Amino acid sequence: MSEPPHVDEAEVERLAARIGLTIDPASRAAVAANLAGLLAAARLVAEFALPEETEPAPRFEP
Amino acid sequence: MTDGATPALAIAAAVRGGTIRARDVVAGALDRIAARDGTLNAFTRVLGDSALADADAVDRRRAKGEDPGPLAGVPFAVKNLFDVAGLPTLAGSKINAELPPVERDATAVARLRAAGAVLVGALNMDEYAYGFSTENTHYGPTRNPHDPTRIAGGSSGGSAAAVAAGLVPLTLGTDTNGSIRVPGALCGVFALKPTFGRVSRAGVVPLAWSFDHAGPFARTVADLAAAFDAIQGPDPRDPVCAARPAAACAGELGRGIERLRIAVAGGHFARLADETSLAAVARVAGALGARAEVTFPEVHRARAAAQVITACEGGAYHLERLRTRAADFDPMTRDRFLAAALLPAAAYTGAQRFRAWFRARVAEVFREVDVMLAPTTPWPAPPIGAPVLTRIGDVEVFTRGHLGHFTQPLSFVGLPVISVPIVARGALPLGVQLVAAPFNEAALFRVAARLEADGVVAATAPTVLS
Repeated sequence: MSEPPHVDEAEVERLAARIGLTIDPASRAAVAANLAGLLAAARLVAEFALPEETEPAPRFEP
Repeated sequence: MTDGATPALAIAAAVRGGTIRARDVVAGALDRIAARDGTLNAFTRVLGDSALADADAVDRRRAKGEDPGPLAGVPFAVKNLFDVAGLPTLAGSKINAELPPVERDATAVARLRAAGAVLVGALNMDEYAYGFSTENTHYGPTRNPHDPTRIAGGSSGGSAAAVAAGLVPLTLGTDTNGSIRVPGALCGVFALKPTFGRVSRAGVVPLAWSFDHAGPFARTVADLAAAFDAIQGPDPRDPVCAARPAAACAGELGRGIERLRIAVAGGHFARLADETSLAAVARVAGALGARAEVTFPEVHRARAAAQVITACEGGAYHLERLRTRAADFDPMTRDRFLAAALLPAAAYTGAQRFRAWFRARVAEVFREVDVMLAPTTPWPAPPIGAPVLTRIGDVEVFTRGHLGHFTQPLSFVGLPVISVPIVARGALPLGVQLVAAPFNEAALFRVAARLEADGVVAATAPTVLS
């Protein structure tokens, strides 16, 4: 897996505010570390070139 | 007489035949729970009087000449993620303990009851199913019956430990990334994660809608099939439950494995694991004469995409609770859910697009193979309170998260998997995953039954509790 992107506590605070979350200052470092890990996972997925026509919609079977 | 080692089907046969009362069977299970669960902490709620009343009802049906059901008098218990009428659904949390009791059983619970089984309690788990260890801060850790200093695995840890310890012969759990298979392997029992949509999740608290599954644990293959047959099939209460009719598996067990193409998973599934874990796969492969190797492409990215989708869906589902009650979350999940809620939409969409691509690649492999073998976990149960990181070779991994290394890429695309238990003398249990194409549970049961009949796999009784 790629090296985790850097996420700092200020960024956690900013992102949380956007969605109405208040994160205890004592938790911010741990949340930042977890978010960095998830962003690394997302980057690993994004680095793979999918065919343009690949889409995520599920099959509709009424 | 029945005891903790008696299979569910033997109990049902005795109750149906009138050689034992369901009341006596259930009373025996309650006695075992009282005697052993102080050590294990598998149960968060024991239903004493109501279970005995349900058992009496089974006995009355039989006395009146009615069919008491294929699982008559079999005690069972369910992860506290399942709705049980009359109880609040804890989902491993302190927050949900404040909810009112639910009025209706989850479909899978109702179906086991309709088959004559008797619910005796609710079982411990990781909070909101977001973990692999059942080290629950609110309700305490569930301990592994084979070594109570070690974890039972998770998130359905109580479900696996209760069966392994002989408290009950059947339990239900759920699996989003490995939460049935991981504890099944670490506790040494048979565990089925069915095809996505094969078993209803109605009345089950979600973690990630895209790949939440419900399934059974048992100590024999026949019991696992009986439980699966009782709960599988369409359910209008679950919008993603498959419409295709139930396909009973109990009759498959004696069919043998002739003409089944069985192969060992290579690549990702042969790396970052203990030698003992890979040796367990080799032992099963040898017993089955499986020499071919198959690989899926980009499995490491599939696992990463599963992590992203789980986080995004879990973070979204719990967002309002995170806004208002974050301090009441378990410290084992809180910071992970908070981080999950902050992920950008592009991460989610990209992971879902990758999932569509990966599912097509997996389908290609299963045109050439019927059953694939892979380790369930990379190592046996770690100690309770183990350090966050563990070194394997020259790589450092998360001790708990890495337990899903081999399970996550498979539930990600909804494949059916049975984890079969394998115990070397004097060692802790391990599991081997038998994996098939969607809706081909029958092939898994044929292979599991052969391995059990040949003595290759078995749910051995824990010596520390005997």
